[in-house]
Amino acid sequence: MYEFTTMGWLKHVIFHPIEGFEDLRWKKQGSMKVSMGIVVLLFVAMVANRQLLGFAFNTAYTKIFNIVPLLVQSVVYFFTWVIANWSVCTLLDGEGRLKQICINSAYALVPYIVGVFVMVFASNFLVLDEAIWLNAIYYLGLGWSVLLMFQAMKAVHQYTVLKTLASMILSLVAMLLILFLVILLLSLFQQVYVFIYSIYTEISYRIRG
Amino acid sequence: MKSMQMRKAFRRAAVLGISLVCACSAMASTAFAAEPYDSYCYDYWDDAIPAQAGYKVYNTYTGYDMNLERLTDPEDELYISESAPIDLNGAKDIFYEDVKNEFWVADTKNSRILRLDKDLQLIGCYSAIDGVPSGVANFNEPQGVFVTVEENGDIMMYIGDTQNSRIVQCKVTSMNTCECVLEIGMPDTPIYKSKTFLPEKILVDGAKNIYAVCTSVNSGSAQFNSLGEFQGFYGANRVEVTAEIIRRRIWRVFASDEQLKSMQSAAPVEYKNFDIDAEGFIYTVTEASNVTTDAVKKLNAAGYNIWNNDAGNTYIFGDAGANTYDAATNTSYTTRLTDIDIDSDGFINILDYATGRVFVYDEECTLVTIFGTYNTNSDQKGSFTGPNALETANNNVYIVDGIKNDITVYTTTLYGEYLKAAVLLYDEGKYLEAKPYWEEVIARDGTCAFALLGLGKAALKEGEYKLAMDYFKDAYARRSYDKAFKYYREQWLQDNFYLVFIVIVLIFILAIVLSILKKKGIIKKHVRKEKKQVERKKTKKELEHEAELAAEAAQAESEAEEADE
Repeated sequence: MYEFTTMGWLKHVIFHPIEGFEDLRWKKQGSMKVSMGIVVLLFVAMVANRQLLGFAFNTAYTKIFNIVPLLVQSVVYFFTWVIANWSVCTLLDGEGRLKQICINSAYALVPYIVGVFVMVFASNFLVLDEAIWLNAIYYLGLGWSVLLMFQAMKAVHQYTVLKTLASMILSLVAMLLILFLVILLLSLFQQVYVFIYSIYTEISYRIRG
Repeated sequence: MKSMQMRKAFRRAAVLGISLVCACSAMASTAFAAEPYDSYCYDYWDDAIPAQAGYKVYNTYTGYDMNLERLTDPEDELYISESAPIDLNGAKDIFYEDVKNEFWVADTKNSRILRLDKDLQLIGCYSAIDGVPSGVANFNEPQGVFVTVEENGDIMMYIGDTQNSRIVQCKVTSMNTCECVLEIGMPDTPIYKSKTFLPEKILVDGAKNIYAVCTSVNSGSAQFNSLGEFQGFYGANRVEVTAEIIRRRIWRVFASDEQLKSMQSAAPVEYKNFDIDAEGFIYTVTEASNVTTDAVKKLNAAGYNIWNNDAGNTYIFGDAGANTYDAATNTSYTTRLTDIDIDSDGFINILDYATGRVFVYDEECTLVTIFGTYNTNSDQKGSFTGPNALETANNNVYIVDGIKNDITVYTTTLYGEYLKAAVLLYDEGKYLEAKPYWEEVIARDGTCAFALLGLGKAALKEGEYKLAMDYFKDAYARRSYDKAFKYYREQWLQDNFYLVFIVIVLIFILAIVLSILKKKGIIKKHVRKEKKQVERKKTKKELEHEAELAAEAAQAESEAEEADE
C-alpha cells in the first residue's frame, strides 16, 4: 500500500475521505502530536474568527474579550467528544481505542479549521455584498469536516453506516451528560470550598479574638 | 526611629498643606452650577456611556413666578376671587400656541385653564364657559388642552374636561371668559363600547377633526369631525406578543365554544398621549410599563404606523432594557413614556415619568441626547417628582411637574446647539455643510457616535475613504464602514493596477515554469525529501525489527544447520 510521511498521511486522509481513514487504521499511522496541534489550531481559528474577522462582518461584542468561552467551545468540546465517543462505542462493540479516536477526530477537523482561516483572511478584503463567498468557504469547510468525521468514526470502530450515525448521535447525548455532570461537580466543589473557607475564617477570628 | 517618625509627621503635614491649598483653589474656581442630571447616551451596543449635557436648566416657574396672585387681587383685571389658588395643582398638560406665542396650561386639580405669555407670565385664566348646552359651566379637572388660532384671529380652545365627561370647544372672548362653540359628550353609538367617557388629551388636526385619548379605552383615540360627530377610533396599539398570548392562542385551537366564551381576550395597551407635527402626522406614546410593542408610533391619516415596517421593529425609545438599574440611586425602574412632543425642527422629545428624563430623537429616531432626572433627596432645580407633560417652544423644553407644581424650562447648551444644528443638516443629507458643526461637537465630546458617523459621511463625500473608514469604525457603523471600504478598495485597485497585474502575471509564469521543470525531471526536490524522511523513519523505527528479523533468520539458519547435521 502507501508510504507517507506524518504530514503526508494527514493530506492523504483529508483528500481521500472514503479510504483514507481505513488506510490510516490498517497502517497504524497517525500522530498524537499532530492531532494535538490541530486542536490548538482549532482554538486559534476560533479566536481569529472573533477578533480578526473583517470589521463589516464582525458582530461580536468587541468591548470585552473573554477567552474562556472560546476555549470551552474548541478544546473542551473536542475532548468531551473524544471521551463521549469512546464511552459509547466501547459499549457498542466499537474497535477504536481512545488514542485512535482522538487522532481520527482531530484529523477530520482540518478542513473546518482551514475554512475558518481562509474566511477570516478573505473577510478583510470583501464587502458585505460579497458575503456569500465567505459563507460558501465556511460551509464547504464545515461540510467536508462533517463528512470526514463520519468516515473517521466509521473506520476507527469498523461500523456500518447506520451504526456510525447512531453512535455519533449517542455520543452527542453523552457529551451533554458529561458536561452537565462536570458543571454539577464544579458547583458542588465550589460550595465545599466556600464551606471550608468560612470555617477557616471563623476559626481565625476566634483565635485572634 | 525617631527621625523616621519625624519625617513621617513632616510628610503628613506637607500633604495636609497641599490638599488645603488645593481645596481653597477649588472653592475659588468651582463657582459654576453643574447640570442636576447625569448626562449619558447609548452606544451601538445599547450600553449607557457618559456624554456631554445637551440641555441645561434655564429656570423654574412656580405659581409665584407666574404672578398667579393677580387672581386674588381685587384691583387687578384678572381678579377672580380672594380665595383663588395662587399655585398650580396637579397640572396635567401644557400647550404652546405658536401664532400668538402663548402657553396654555391645564391646571387640573384647580379645575381651570391658565393662559401664559412666552415668559410664562399670567395673562388669562378660564374656569367656566358661557353658553354651554348642557348647563354645566364650570370645568371639572380638565386634563388636556389644545388651542388653535382661526384665520380671523379668534382663539379656539379645545378642552378635555375629564371629570365632566365631555370635550368642549370654546372661543376665547376675554382674559377670563370664553364662549362655548361645541360640546361633545359620550358617543351614542354601539361602536363606542366603554362605559365611561373620560377624555384626557385633546388634539386637533388640520381638517379640524378632534382626537381624544380617553381613560381605559384601548381601541385608540376617539375621533370626532368638526361638527362633533363620532367618527370611530384612531390608531390602536397592537397586542404585544408574550408567552401568555401565545399560550392562549394555542389553547384557542382546542377549546370548545363555551370555553372560548369564558376566555379572556387579548387587549392591547392604550396609548397615553399624542402630538401632531407640522406635516399632520400624529405621534403617540404608550405609558404602560414593560411594553415595547408600539411604545412610540408615527401615524398617518389612516391611523397606520409608518414606522411599522420591516425596519421599524428596531426602533427603541426610552432607556434600553425593560427593567433598568440606576447605579446613582441604587434603584431599578421601568421606563414609562408619558408625553411626546415634536418641535418645530422635527426633533422628537419624549418624557419618561419614571425617571424624569427627556429623550430627544431626530426624525429618523436616532437618539440625540438625554436630559432631566428624577427628584432625589436634594430638591434641585431641573429634577422632577411628577413630570406630567412637556412642550417645546423656541428651542426650549417646558416640563410641567404635577407634584412639585411648577414648570421647568430647559434650554440647550452650546454643545446641544451644535449637536442639533449638525443633526438637522445631517438628516437633510447635507453632510459637508454639517461637518463644521460635527467638529464642534466632537471637540466637546469625543465619544459622540452620532458625530463620528456624521464626520465619516462627510469624509466619504469628500473622497477621503480611509478617513471615513476610521470614523465609521469608531462609531461602530458597520454598514457605512462597508460602503467606505468598497470605495477604498476600488481606489486602491485603480491606483495599484499595474502592481496587481504584474504580480498575477508573475505567479502564472512561475507556475508554468515549475510545471515544465517538474515534467522534465529537473526538479525532484519534493519527492526526494519525502523519500529521505521515509528512510529516516525506517532507520528509527524498524531497525530493531530488522535486527529481529536478521536474528530470526540467523536462528533459522542455525536450526537448519542443526537439522542437517
